[in-house]
Amino acid sequence: MKKLVVLLLGLVLLPGLCATVMAAEKVNLYANITAIEPIMADFNAGQSSEEGIYTRISTSKYLATVLTEFSAGKLRADVLQGPLPILQMLKEKGVLAPYKSSSASGYPSWATEDDTIVQFGIEYVAPIYNKELVKAEDVPTSYMDLTDPKWYDKIVMPDPASHATTISWLIGLKEAKVFGDDDGWMKFIKGLAANRPMFVKSFGPSPAPIESGEKLLGISMPKYIITKAPAPLAWARVDTLFGTTRAMALAAKAPNPAGGKVFIDYWLSKKAMQLLADKVGEYVLTPGVYPPIEGVDKVKVLPIRQLSDEEIRHWGDEFQKIFYQ
Amino acid sequence: MFKKPTLTTTLIIIVGFLTLCPVIMLLLGSFSKDFVSFGQFTTSKYIAAYTDPDFADILVNTVIFTVGSALHATLLALFLAYVNTRTDLPFKFIFKIISIIPMMIPHILFSASWVLLLNPSNGILNRLFMNLFETREALFNIYSLKGMILVEGLLDLPIAYLIIAPAMSAFDVSLEESSKVCGASNLRTLFKVTLPVLRPAILASAILVIVRSLASFAVPSVVGMPGRIYVLSTHIYRNISSGFAADYGLAAAIGMSALVASITLIYVYRYLTAESGKFVTISSRGFKPTLLRLKKWKYPLLVIVGILSFVLILLPVLVLFYISMLPYSMPPSARAFSLMSWNNWIEVLNDPISLLSLKNSLFLGVVGATLGTILSIFVSYVIVKIRTTASGILESLSFLSFSFPGIVIGVGFMWFFVRTPLYGTLTALMIGYIATYLPYGIRPLSSAFIQIHSTLEESSRVCGGSPFYTLRRVIIPLLIPGIVSGWILMASMFLRELTLSVVLSRPGTEVLAVQILRFAEDGLWGRLSALGIIMILISSLLVIIAALLGSRFSKLEVVDR
Repeated sequence: MKKLVVLLLGLVLLPGLCATVMAAEKVNLYANITAIEPIMADFNAGQSSEEGIYTRISTSKYLATVLTEFSAGKLRADVLQGPLPILQMLKEKGVLAPYKSSSASGYPSWATEDDTIVQFGIEYVAPIYNKELVKAEDVPTSYMDLTDPKWYDKIVMPDPASHATTISWLIGLKEAKVFGDDDGWMKFIKGLAANRPMFVKSFGPSPAPIESGEKLLGISMPKYIITKAPAPLAWARVDTLFGTTRAMALAAKAPNPAGGKVFIDYWLSKKAMQLLADKVGEYVLTPGVYPPIEGVDKVKVLPIRQLSDEEIRHWGDEFQKIFYQ
Repeated sequence: MFKKPTLTTTLIIIVGFLTLCPVIMLLLGSFSKDFVSFGQFTTSKYIAAYTDPDFADILVNTVIFTVGSALHATLLALFLAYVNTRTDLPFKFIFKIISIIPMMIPHILFSASWVLLLNPSNGILNRLFMNLFETREALFNIYSLKGMILVEGLLDLPIAYLIIAPAMSAFDVSLEESSKVCGASNLRTLFKVTLPVLRPAILASAILVIVRSLASFAVPSVVGMPGRIYVLSTHIYRNISSGFAADYGLAAAIGMSALVASITLIYVYRYLTAESGKFVTISSRGFKPTLLRLKKWKYPLLVIVGILSFVLILLPVLVLFYISMLPYSMPPSARAFSLMSWNNWIEVLNDPISLLSLKNSLFLGVVGATLGTILSIFVSYVIVKIRTTASGILESLSFLSFSFPGIVIGVGFMWFFVRTPLYGTLTALMIGYIATYLPYGIRPLSSAFIQIHSTLEESSRVCGGSPFYTLRRVIIPLLIPGIVSGWILMASMFLRELTLSVVLSRPGTEVLAVQILRFAEDGLWGRLSALGIIMILISSLLVIIAALLGSRFSKLEVVDR
């Protein structure tokens, strides 16, 4: 019996000990951005002696994970990438360290004005459609076209009552006065709701119903035209695209701060941003770098105001009343 | 058999440690003002959770969803278990494997597969129906409570099957024969003898499915949300995703209602099976499980079981294979077939993280399920054979982590493990898996224990056998069907476990389900399906090995009367 207990204990504890011994001298990136393997591979193949590893954390678990690890003194991240509001909260809690990378020198001034957090991209949102099923003459040319009754039961979008980025985007359209005044904006919201869109939990599952033909168009992200190629996806050429910004910062108690700085310098460089645009379809802030999606280099892409959580909950409740009628 | 109070106390300490730690952390978090488990005390999260005007509707949906899924899974499992264990139906071995296939499939994939089959716009089965009958109305709208019950019931079918089948195979047919000799009809025998004797297994199955569907997130999010139907788990998700600062304390406060419901169900179960002697069918008086000859019903029943298995289980798997061969999801057409290739499979098999995930998941599946089953044997023994207040506490403890909605319990484990050196290791994952899914081992073993009369172990003890000798030579051989069921349930679950893994896994400790989630978040359904099928193949292999080992070591010789 004793031998059995020792054997069982050994089986349980051995992998844990091995993993502890193996975890050493790497640059650890915590990120919510998806499909960045090509950038990590390029960093690891580069001249730096550092090895980058990538811990993917969804937006909904980001703050809980980082704050839990930080408060227990076990934050493994050297570099943190996430939505700007999350990084701002982490900065307030003392999780981030100031660092200004020279690689971001050409970025717009609003993206680099903070001494700790640098914004490097915009999570741009657009009407996306199935180009094999939607006739050229039917493709929306403005946001208001989404309220046309011909799209009844043919639209997919993230749940506007709960998905923070979608709520922020809808409010972004209001504040940018895309529809003139607030009445025009409300007409758009009610018209969109009247078309009874199908809701999914986030942008991730939004292109699948469009590519399969279950729905004809949706509120989604143009980057899927790249990541889901050769799916028959295209974006509707509206005047201006809006989105929340993607940001990055160095961790205050980074296990490998020097490596973290090397990684941030690399990430913000034109080479890495070009990869992010080319391979992942991201809209980046490096001047002259655009994703290889037809028309994106010509459209205006603007960052929207970051809503507080109270505002997101308030507007989520309001949208629930309208969309769930 | 053992020094009973010592054994019970030891197990309460072990199981309590495993399951209480994350739940206590969540309880602390639910009263903490901050986003971590330790913060300024507040009751505001409970007030916010239970004064939400939507909460009543959510509860009604949740009750319909969980009870409906339990009825669906249990009735289907009863039918399949009966024909697979009690009759001479041809090709039974295949149907046994088919019955447990859904538990090998990542739930998100199984749900997506049903969406492709039955979405009201262009679902494959709906289109087929509309073309055949020249109608504009879809046959079935998957985005409904009925659709959620259909998919969740099928996903939980293996749980019900693996609890009911061992009890059914240990059923002494002489009880039914006695009933018939006394003049009872087949139907009366079924309702007065067969089903009452199987009551512990049927109740155990229904309760486990209710608790599991309470915690389920894949079906409510993939099938329910597009139909605007919210249940407890998606309500929790909506609460934590509305805003960037996800408050898991609030989520835990909502999750406490699931915990209370589960513990209540366990006590109802104990009350309904209190007189365990009633359900004993294996005693020292010459137990012989027997087979029923179907005669002229053999082939009609084979067709019925074949069609059921094909439509409900194999068709969704075929859809997965179809998606895995395509560059993007599209309905079947000549063009779709012309675009088919093995590219997704090649990508997956050349991806180093996918291969590492495969290795880690296999280790966790085999070693974790073995350790979990060993612990389950002792816990089940105490729960069934030592029916004291302490054993009731042990049973409730074993359900604690399992009862919490999956998206919350992972955070509870993270809050706990981050204070230990095990954080971010495979060991933490293994402990978390065993702690959470202990009921998968305990329930089939308890159902099996209930049917073994205590005179068997008493005879061994009277003849001088030590407690462990009695366990090894008398009890365990009789428990083999239950042990195999428990091990299969645990191993399959550990291979595709997502909710804990997504929070606890770190670079180097990636597991299959986390890799699958990555593909899902990137919308790479082809690669996702390819990896899902690889997962099904590995699980099937493990199930076949376990079933073969089980039949080799089993002392039960099935006699064909």
